Amino acid sequence: MGNRLLSLLEASAALGLLMGQAEANTVIQVMHQGDPGWVSTYGDVAKRFEAANPDVDIELIYAPHDAYNEKFSAAVMSKQLPDVMELDAPFLANYVWSGYLQPIKPLIEQDILDDMTESNVAQGTYPIDKELYAVGLTDSSVVLYGNRKYLEAIGARIPKGVDDAWTREEFEGYLDKLSKVEGVKWPIDTFRGYGIKTEWITYAYGPILQSAGCDLIDRKSWKAVGTLDSDPCVDALTMMQRWVNKGWVVPQSSGTNQFFAEGHPAALAFGGHWIYAEAAASMKDDIVVMPLPKFGPKGASPNGTWIWGITTASEHPDIAGKFVSFMLKDKQYRDYAREDSAYPGLKSFAADSPLYSTGGPMAVAFEQASKTAIARPPHPAYPAITSAFMGAVDEIFNGGDVKAALSAAAEKIDEDIEENDGYPPFDEQQ
Amino acid sequence: MSDLVLSTTPLEVERERSAVGTLRLVQTACILVIALVIISPLFMLLVASLKDDRFQILADMGSFRAFWVSNPTLSNFAEVGNLSGELAYGRYLLNSLIILACTVGAGLIVNSMAGFVLAWGSLRGRALMLSVVIALYVIPQESIIMPLVIMVSRAGMTDTFTVQIVPWVASPLYIFLFYQFFAQLPKELFEAAEMDGASVFRIYRSIFLPLSLPALATVSILMGIEAWNQYLWPILVTQTDYARPIAVAIATFFGQDSIYWDRAMAASVLMMIPILALYLAFQRWFVSSFVGSAVKG
Repeated sequence: MGNRLLSLLEASAALGLLMGQAEANTVIQVMHQGDPGWVSTYGDVAKRFEAANPDVDIELIYAPHDAYNEKFSAAVMSKQLPDVMELDAPFLANYVWSGYLQPIKPLIEQDILDDMTESNVAQGTYPIDKELYAVGLTDSSVVLYGNRKYLEAIGARIPKGVDDAWTREEFEGYLDKLSKVEGVKWPIDTFRGYGIKTEWITYAYGPILQSAGCDLIDRKSWKAVGTLDSDPCVDALTMMQRWVNKGWVVPQSSGTNQFFAEGHPAALAFGGHWIYAEAAASMKDDIVVMPLPKFGPKGASPNGTWIWGITTASEHPDIAGKFVSFMLKDKQYRDYAREDSAYPGLKSFAADSPLYSTGGPMAVAFEQASKTAIARPPHPAYPAITSAFMGAVDEIFNGGDVKAALSAAAEKIDEDIEENDGYPPFDEQQ
Repeated sequence: MSDLVLSTTPLEVERERSAVGTLRLVQTACILVIALVIISPLFMLLVASLKDDRFQILADMGSFRAFWVSNPTLSNFAEVGNLSGELAYGRYLLNSLIILACTVGAGLIVNSMAGFVLAWGSLRGRALMLSVVIALYVIPQESIIMPLVIMVSRAGMTDTFTVQIVPWVASPLYIFLFYQFFAQLPKELFEAAEMDGASVFRIYRSIFLPLSLPALATVSILMGIEAWNQYLWPILVTQTDYARPIAVAIATFFGQDSIYWDRAMAASVLMMIPILALYLAFQRWFVSSFVGSAVKG
């Protein structure tokens, strides 16, 4: 009995010691989104970081992609912001303006900062103070994928690079011809299946407006009325509405990935870089990667993705920075990203990504980054801008009046900016 | 003999019988079609969960192939049903079961007590309290969710099972359901027990509660479904996987770029089983409560 009591006391003491050690550890909370593959990858990175830093515990906070903003709002309101957070690049200006993020340069290892591509720096920089607030391993782009068999059937010209992208006339002419090719159910998949709960519409269709000669908002006066509802924008969205009305576009109800689904019912795809791996696996040599068409005077393509920032609520920003640096250098993390055909945001990652290097199958996507990429408006009103624009596009695709829908969206955006007194000091930029 | 009987049946009666027969046939056919429409998505879900290729599931959608699997596999279930690791869906399922059991268990006690007091209690202002309960029912959950988040975080309740159970235990709808049920029981029951010297609590526990099986079954099922399907609330108030329910875990399959239909379907099937079991367990009383309320008008 005495021995048993002694063992019990020893066990309690050991447990107490262990608990004491656990309590002494610094806890770094990391909020992120992502599919099961990414969730698992982040978990493994955290374990490796903890092994290398036994005095730190990484607590991963998962928020589903569709409810990420709600989770973020709840964290802000309950004063439970994590130390590190994954954020969608266009929302950065809003978060910095609201005081949730801190400059990241002093916290991240210098070799990573030196390694960032221009586009990566741009997506993490706040336009007012020009400080860097977030960093990522990756960036993103959208290209025009084509099915070689169908394109050959209509004798389409295959562009070799960004400079000889299809013109609007060529593009619409090909859509018309493709609609008559046997086996083609829809000439193009514009990934309407992503719906309006994601950033897709603003991200992917915004460049069509910019290429056509207008924008979501005037980037000097920060007024949407007169820009989003201007003639070039109305014309561009009328053009897209016509594609939908003619039955050229994969409907939302048919889901996504019809370009590489069985039987390949869509001939073209206006798709993100992330579908390449799956599309290539399904289509083999039939896949053609082309630059986005020029719908007006210039070419335009999107950029920006989910990147990592450190919040002002962090009590251990140095350790949080250490974790972000560790993650961006982690070999397995990079391997997983490369397998997922991730678009490079660090030069060393680009050099290690044969997919995007010169001659690589996605080289044209990387070429777009330096020649045609236009970031989404870096303004604190971006959440209102994207919400209004996506609502308008949805209405237009469902048969609504183009001019009326864009005017209503523009007014909604301007109202949000007015209600926030112009989001000073953005109002002084005019 | 039967021919003789039939031959003596007036023509009108025979016609009427034939019309009734046709009507029944049409009714049965309609019911079968409706049943097929209701069951087919569930059947498709089950079939899809047995396919091992998420692209195949996508390609099959919209055709009859969605209802057929040539090489069924349980690999999706094996993957989502594990109890450890980063994606421990089995563990999330257990979390959901704990939340369901505690919410429904506590909910039955609290709401039935409140309903009983409103129906038979001797408190002053019962009518006013009932009005307040009914008024509370019309307030949408979404409108109070953020203030509630702040409240529970200030109380230090985030990332616990408690925070997913306590706020949803008392519900105006279920209090009202119990009130209605108890109020319909004969007054004599209460008076006789009172004359025998039973306390109000004793009357509730020993007489009225055992009689309220249909109400208990209805509330169990409705409350169970509600607790089981909670999605936004757990996202807002849980930080880690410690107490996260299965509905949130399934959301990981719906990524920004791709949807893992195979595993999402398997997890959905697993998610359906407990709530189906709850319904089957209480079905008899659940149906009788509806029939009863319909008869009583």
